[in-house]
Amino acid sequence: MMHVDVNTKKLKKNAFRVTKHRDIVASRVRVPGGACNAEVLAQVAAIAREYGNGQVHITTRQGFEIEGISIRDMAKVNEKLQPIIENLEINQETPGTGYASSGTRNVSACVGNRVCPFGNYNTAAFAKRIEKAIFPNDLHFKIALTGCANDCIKARMHDFGIIGMTEPQYDPNRCVSCSACIKGCDQLSVDALHMENYKIVRNTEKCVGCGVCVTKCPTRAWTRSRKKYYRLTIMGRTGKKNPRLGEDFLLWADEDTIVKVILNTYKFAKEYIDPKAPGGKEHVGYIIDRVGFKEFKKWALDGVELPPETIVKDNVYWSGIYFR
Amino acid sequence: MNNAYMPFLSQIQKVIRHTDIEYTFRMHYVGEVKPGQFFEVSVPKYGEAPISVSGIGEDYVDLTIRKVGKVTNEIFENQEGKSLFMRGPYGNGFLPENYRGKELAVVAGGTGVSPVKGIIDYFGSHPEEVTSLTVIAGFKSPKDVLFKEDIERWKSQKMDLTITVDAAEEPGWNVGLVTKYIPDITFENKENAAVIVVGPPVMMKFAVAEFKKLDIADHQIWISQERKMCCGLGKCGHCRMGDTYICLDGPVFNYTEGKKLLD
Amino acid sequence: MGNLWNKEALSRLLENLKKDYDVFAPRLYAGAGCYSDTDIVRYGIIESFDEIVWDEKSDYSFKEALLPISDTIMYFTENSVKIPEEKRKRLIFLRACDLNALKRLDEIYLHNGPEDFYYKNIRENARFILMGCSQSFKSCFCVSMGTNQAENYDGYAHPTEEGLYLELKDEALSTYAEDISVPRDSQEIQYVKENEETVPIPETLPENIASHEVWKEYSGRCIGCGRCNFVCPTCTCFTMQDIFYRDNENAGERRRVWASCQVDGYSDIAGGISFRKDQGERMRFKVLHKIQNYKNRFGYPMCVGCGRCENVCPEYISYIECLNKLSAIGGNSHE
Repeated sequence: MMHVDVNTKKLKKNAFRVTKHRDIVASRVRVPGGACNAEVLAQVAAIAREYGNGQVHITTRQGFEIEGISIRDMAKVNEKLQPIIENLEINQETPGTGYASSGTRNVSACVGNRVCPFGNYNTAAFAKRIEKAIFPNDLHFKIALTGCANDCIKARMHDFGIIGMTEPQYDPNRCVSCSACIKGCDQLSVDALHMENYKIVRNTEKCVGCGVCVTKCPTRAWTRSRKKYYRLTIMGRTGKKNPRLGEDFLLWADEDTIVKVILNTYKFAKEYIDPKAPGGKEHVGYIIDRVGFKEFKKWALDGVELPPETIVKDNVYWSGIYFR
Repeated sequence: MNNAYMPFLSQIQKVIRHTDIEYTFRMHYVGEVKPGQFFEVSVPKYGEAPISVSGIGEDYVDLTIRKVGKVTNEIFENQEGKSLFMRGPYGNGFLPENYRGKELAVVAGGTGVSPVKGIIDYFGSHPEEVTSLTVIAGFKSPKDVLFKEDIERWKSQKMDLTITVDAAEEPGWNVGLVTKYIPDITFENKENAAVIVVGPPVMMKFAVAEFKKLDIADHQIWISQERKMCCGLGKCGHCRMGDTYICLDGPVFNYTEGKKLLD
Repeated sequence: MGNLWNKEALSRLLENLKKDYDVFAPRLYAGAGCYSDTDIVRYGIIESFDEIVWDEKSDYSFKEALLPISDTIMYFTENSVKIPEEKRKRLIFLRACDLNALKRLDEIYLHNGPEDFYYKNIRENARFILMGCSQSFKSCFCVSMGTNQAENYDGYAHPTEEGLYLELKDEALSTYAEDISVPRDSQEIQYVKENEETVPIPETLPENIASHEVWKEYSGRCIGCGRCNFVCPTCTCFTMQDIFYRDNENAGERRRVWASCQVDGYSDIAGGISFRKDQGERMRFKVLHKIQNYKNRFGYPMCVGCGRCENVCPEYISYIECLNKLSAIGGNSHE
């Protein structure tokens, strides 16, 4: 059989890419949170050797793109992907059929508190929780999680950016007025601390919850809050029309709230997506641009019980660069 | 139980203004005290500061204070008739018996004059107790000169007194560092010389070097060290230099010990 | 001779003790570590003997149970000075290294100059339970320092399957156990006989050791955070702080607060003069105190070999390695 008859729409949703080379596709392996064990690497390598051209691209979204696969081998590759999908606990309807969607992109994350001293939570674990909640899904969403306000994953360039926060807890009885926290906050963060009467005063308006004061404190006068908090930034994006940074929507939110808001946003997108959008794809940020923030907010917070400490932005204004 | 941290209230008998930022507070005090010892002086809610005794009377001690920080700024708000909190005296101080019968030379710079002033006062009024007394006191400029009234008195007493300033716009002043005048000191019998050097660390270092050039031995030299003294009781640790707690073992050291002190 | 205490008996004992004592022991503070999702073990008041951490060395020493980190020593009103009410009695569980450190604290606070009123008050009312060490922990070198065993404790304890083996030597303490019937037993006191680290203590350092180049590397490595001092059971420095209350400027207090010779400002005096500006000099000041200066003054080394400074340094500066280097320069106790 020499001829090729493939539905490229289905091929794309099955996480293959139509390449510039005739009859050659690439397999896109999604790794939620960018965290995988060495086994996955070996399995990716095996597929690349057997069905690809031996070359693997590490994608910007923390997946693998196995290059140079014959369009005729997609089914075999899907079978070979099965152990990876199981290893990474990817939601799937029919085993052996590969990744079930590609519209919503891999949920990316910085290394987080598994490794990084600044990380305020386990980014990969939260990424997996989101992955479990939203996949498979073909709506065009990009989500990224970052451990602290440094935002190494560039969460603010995503539709949903989740930035870890801690509410620093201060015990004045353990404080020796060494100023390490004040210097740290000034040099590495937002200069939200000062000394009064030899004890530290935190400007709660200014504080971004990065936790630098906690890491700098030599006596455990500063510790992290028991509860983990998140800043949720929304509708940042790259692209041809209007690249922009995401703006703050929720501050001091909890994990449950974030998951609910994301799921609600999928409902919103389904309701309002342009039925004439090319390929049924309309990026969620552009839907909100059309429909308005207030309507989005109504949907996003529907049925969400916010923790009392969570701050919800009344309105959100984006800027960015306008090319059209 | 005795609480060594508990200060007592002492009335300010007199305030002598030397410069804009240096006053002597004459504090009511009756008790044993030696020149070169220090008190922890405090204004509650502002803090404590270690201050050298710069003069001793029947019922008072003089504390010469430089206005350089939170506590001393607050002390300067107080006038005659008001009170300050004090505890002390602390440290060993200068013992006149170390210098009796000697050819005594005292070299001091700036606020370093305070701790030795009591010794100059003493031998100034008891000249028969020393073979000779030479005093060299240095200040930054004429307006920084401390103890002007005392200097006038010293001039009339039996001592070889040199007051020098680092720089002066007006004429009539000796200009130069104290070290410039040390080579001019003539000791009749060097073996009977005794030397006291007090001032900022660099000044002490170079002044001692000048005396070494004159063949004065280590054991003939005394210095006084100023370090951070939070408690004055050998507890807080800030004034420690090596094995030595300045507040307990000093601040006055014979140079045989003093030369070993290292920050 | 001691007794075997099960959990129920122990909880009754603690109830009895709590009438008069705050019981301090190393306990876990979950999530209170420097980094996210990390814990620390430090001293605090326990509500159950189960809370005592036996299988780890405490990150911070016992000293905060005797010398509060920030301690108010006087209250001021407009015209009067008042001292705080006496603190509650303390029963402190501690290992041999820390009990040896207690001697060092006593040396400074009771014998170096006049007695310290505040320390003495707490100290006289404090009782000490030696914790048996069934194992040596990371960076411990108590055997090298001769501090693996201790004397002068009021009681001894180590964990058993049911609870604790406990010897109460102090008569006053024994009275709290009188109404509880527990089986008698005799077990050996557990102490460490060998550490992984054997640390040579420099004996005869050259006179110019302070200006030796060995200190230079620390100038660039040490960040002056003071952690080594704050975890050390033998560091005793403090600074006085006076404050007035925000809501009533006529009233205020005087505190003493732990200080560190590694942190900026430690040696600053009036007129902008400070000594040891360089971190290498501060390292020298600290290390020579631990193994030389203190010994010259009091006849025995200050360091008790608990290794906490080694474990806590964020810049991985090894105090043990520094002692090794000094021994190579000056000869050591093992030669």
